[in-house]
Amino acid sequence: MDIGKLQRLPSEDLSAITSRERRKFLRLGLTITGLYLGGTVLSLVSARRAEAAGGPVPATGQYPYNPHYTMVLREARCVDCERCKEACKTTNHVPDYGYRTTILERRRDLAEGTYETIFMPVLCNHCNRPPCVRVCPTTATWKDKKTGIVMMKPSRCIGCKTCMTACPYNARYFQEEKRAIDKCDFCWQARLSKGETTTACAAACPADVRIFGNLADPKSRVYQLLHTPDTIVWVLRPEVGALPNVFYTNA
Amino acid sequence: MKIINIISLAIVALLCAGVVLAAEEKQGAAQPYDENTYGPAAPIIWEKPVKAVVFSHKTHTMGAGLGCDSCHGGLFEQESGAAEKKPDFTMDKIYKGGYCGACHDGQTAFAAKTRCAACHIGARGLKRLRQAESDRTAPAASH
Repeated sequence: MDIGKLQRLPSEDLSAITSRERRKFLRLGLTITGLYLGGTVLSLVSARRAEAAGGPVPATGQYPYNPHYTMVLREARCVDCERCKEACKTTNHVPDYGYRTTILERRRDLAEGTYETIFMPVLCNHCNRPPCVRVCPTTATWKDKKTGIVMMKPSRCIGCKTCMTACPYNARYFQEEKRAIDKCDFCWQARLSKGETTTACAAACPADVRIFGNLADPKSRVYQLLHTPDTIVWVLRPEVGALPNVFYTNA
Repeated sequence: MKIINIISLAIVALLCAGVVLAAEEKQGAAQPYDENTYGPAAPIIWEKPVKAVVFSHKTHTMGAGLGCDSCHGGLFEQESGAAEKKPDFTMDKIYKGGYCGACHDGQTAFAAKTRCAACHIGARGLKRLRQAESDRTAPAASH
């Protein structure tokens, strides 16, 4: 061994690593950590393909389905008359103890020491990444490949209620009569499959709050509402990452 | 030094509380609600054509300074529930200046096309009002 030659080699200890080199390594580690935790939970470096970047509305032309059934709720117009709830009950034979759609209520304090009431209609969000479908052990619930509707087959359901727990929107209930979970199917069974073009709740709304349609059609009202300049569109619980198809706006 | 600070703070706090309480008492005593001057104290509730709309005489008379004949002279009959029976008691008519729309036009008072939930209390609000009513009128069974 030629000691002289070895001594002339560049040192391999930590002091020889440039700070640029250190950062590169650190970045790799953080990226991997972010990916490992699902990419949405913790990513310390900027995620290049973040889905929230353009807001909750998918970019035009990038809809996974056609028709891509969507509901837009013009929240401020809702007065909680509950005609939608009644129409849903009769159309889909919903018992009194459950609901496929309901109206929530919240208060917002105003400047003069008063408050305003905001009514919020809720229903199944027919998510593009439905957590309920992912957890079902018997494939009793699935995302329809053509319409994107989250369907339910009661005869396959074993009533384990895991989907109820998984749903971020509390949109499922256990129907005692069927011994199965029941949920909104955008009136597919009762109306759409029979040639109707809208849901019972949207048809019953006197205040034009619920707009139902095909987001993949740029001429549809839902598309127009979600692409109106100077308006805000939001979804419920976006942090879950379920990519819902029920949008809220005050346009 | 510290103890003195704390004691003086406590005294100031007590004084403030006293002043606030006295002011509140004064406010309550100064303006009793007189039904003969200001109209029925109980809210008027309409359930048609949609569930449900609330109207408070107090807000409009005692609050906004309107007299009985401001509304009960063409716009609304004095008999409660009369408007509800008319087929034109709709938002369309109100937007055109009928009923509430006579003032709620965006000039005199906030426009009827805005702040829907200020009057529309919904099925939930109706249920709550009914519950409060039955709690008040029911004989004191809980005692």
